[in-house]
Amino acid sequence: MDVVNQFILVASGLLLLSILASVLSARVGMPLLLVFLTIGMLLGSDGVGGIVLADISTAYLVGSVALAVILFDGGMRTKIANFRVGLKPALSLATLGVLLTAGITGMFAAWILGLSWLEGLLIGAIVGSTDAAAVFGLLHSKGLELKQRVGATLEIESGSNDPMAVFLTIVLVEALVAGQQWLGWDTIWIFVQQMGLGAAFGLLGGIMLGVIINRVQLSAGLYPLVALSGGVTVFAAASVLGGSGFLAAYLAGIVLANRPLQSGQNILRFHDGMAWLAQISMFLVLGLFAHPAQLLEIALPALLIAAVLMLVARPLSVWLSLLPFRFPREEQLFVSWVGLRGAVPIVLALFPLMAGLDNAMIFFNVAFFVVLVSLILQGWTVAPLAKRLRLDMPSGSEVIQRVELDVPGQLGRELVGYRLDLDSPALLAGLPKLPGEVNYAAVLRGGKALDPCQLDKLQGGDYVYLLACRENLGALDKIFAANAETERQAERQFFGEFVINGDARLADVAMAYGFVLPAEITSELSIQEIFAQRFSRRQVVGDRIDLNTVVLVVREIEGDQVTRVGLKLSR
Amino acid sequence: MQVSQLLELDRISCDNPAASKKRVLEQLSELISQGENALNQNQIFDSLLSRERLGSTGLGRGVAIPHARMKDNDRTIAALLRLEHGVDFDAIDGQPVDLVFALLVPEQATEEHLQLLAQLAEMFSDKELVEHLRDSSDSQHLLNTLREWQQQH
Repeated sequence: MDVVNQFILVASGLLLLSILASVLSARVGMPLLLVFLTIGMLLGSDGVGGIVLADISTAYLVGSVALAVILFDGGMRTKIANFRVGLKPALSLATLGVLLTAGITGMFAAWILGLSWLEGLLIGAIVGSTDAAAVFGLLHSKGLELKQRVGATLEIESGSNDPMAVFLTIVLVEALVAGQQWLGWDTIWIFVQQMGLGAAFGLLGGIMLGVIINRVQLSAGLYPLVALSGGVTVFAAASVLGGSGFLAAYLAGIVLANRPLQSGQNILRFHDGMAWLAQISMFLVLGLFAHPAQLLEIALPALLIAAVLMLVARPLSVWLSLLPFRFPREEQLFVSWVGLRGAVPIVLALFPLMAGLDNAMIFFNVAFFVVLVSLILQGWTVAPLAKRLRLDMPSGSEVIQRVELDVPGQLGRELVGYRLDLDSPALLAGLPKLPGEVNYAAVLRGGKALDPCQLDKLQGGDYVYLLACRENLGALDKIFAANAETERQAERQFFGEFVINGDARLADVAMAYGFVLPAEITSELSIQEIFAQRFSRRQVVGDRIDLNTVVLVVREIEGDQVTRVGLKLSR
Repeated sequence: MQVSQLLELDRISCDNPAASKKRVLEQLSELISQGENALNQNQIFDSLLSRERLGSTGLGRGVAIPHARMKDNDRTIAALLRLEHGVDFDAIDGQPVDLVFALLVPEQATEEHLQLLAQLAEMFSDKELVEHLRDSSDSQHLLNTLREWQQQH
């Protein structure tokens, strides 16, 4: 009894401590995952805590389930709209990119550690994938709003390259266990089986889950649990049958969240918490499992391997993988640097340990070290780099409160609430015009509900509730959310002073302002055609075309067409 | 060049009753062309309108800055309208516009023209200035408000 209670005390205390420590991380700008990992190491066998976690299979179990939950949640946060700009580049990075990264890093590792080629490649494969938890955490963190093409690419890449790294690791471990010198041709067959089954399970599982959630009447609190258990089931079922469970979980998440769902908002909020829990427990356990003292022994070679990975292998493979997609140079640079490594390599490094390979502990320590270096160096510098490369978009204020409205058969409608600031554009003139099918649901002033039909003016401090469709939310933010003075200045700085329609001919714009177009630009085309051409149809908000005297910056996109660009006059 | 120096008192109209975007542009063309023999009101209107066709000059928060380059025009001329009621201007935020500052520049003044426009846009994105302009009582007051702001900045 007492042991059980002690265990609960330690586990819950650790969890609480980690969550509270996250406040500190936000202040110092330290990557959160690093905080959890550090706490784990501090309390682990070599640290002050002295907690010994000798059982690999526990670490592996926690790692796998946590990763499945994180990928499922990550999938649910991946917007289908991001696929237009990010899918193909991301898939190229997730397959060819991982292969190249693993190959280059692996060969270097084999050479410097004096291991066989296969063992070296195993190290390469273990550290080959970017970490979903780290990248999702970064992309959804407050204060960083990346340009869509970069954000989407990184996001989809990090969700879909784990399966590739897992596959390579498994194949290599099996080859080493069997005493092979090199990989056989059946590797390709295993690849097809893993990815094919994983994809099939993910897509079908996601669709089925959606049907279940929308058909079955449950008490509200159970919907998130249905989603979670469904996601983990999809992961496990795919894995049991020889498919890639991680791919299945990620795809199921994407399929599920991109359709109208009963209690959708609820499910997302719950999974946000679950993904945190998964990250914290995974990093804590992995931190506990590590032996910092042993890390020091391999510090020098591991540091060199990390350097080769971050400065040679990743940039080179990013460059090659993105070659067909003509990414602007600064975006390539950024994607190269955001090759954040996280828990996946550490979980993967447990595979050789479980298989009982000779040098398994070396693999683990190297992987752990590489992850630490990546989290510290890259995790800490990503946000400043994004600003430096001008990939950080000015972010508008968000809806203060969104309440989902669960009317049967009326999926996708939401009740949106704003508290009007004195700065709010809605106060400027009369009652603001509402876009589309949006209606006033209620206006509360000084605790009293007013009749929206009788209303002729809003006041600062009013609470306004609107019945809206999801696609209207952006427009509503512009009207109701107080856009602070500094934000509007930043927006003008970024997008320029004036606005031009996407279908305007560039020649006419040049005429109106009297500037001469650079020779390489076909001025007879419309602005949207020019952007589509320049960015290979993957144009996103924030893309710029410099016309010497003025700069055009994409402001709005509908579908895949630029509808409005900013005209930037001042430098 | 100082923006407020371009604006003359008789080219300001306070509490103008214009009730449509077209009327606003017409009023501005009239204000600009008055006393300028070389300028034709209709031509001014046409060039302002063709600029609007490329994209609204409504900057949001009730402010618009229509502008155009003009043949046969040898100096930069500005006009300011404060409307009695907000007018639909296809502004970026979809909200009505009640402060309109128009700028007409000579055909050859390009770089200067662009910088002047940038300066104007910055000026009219200042919340305090816009509030003061809305509170001003008459044309003289509007002009003084602009001058004061420019002295401070």
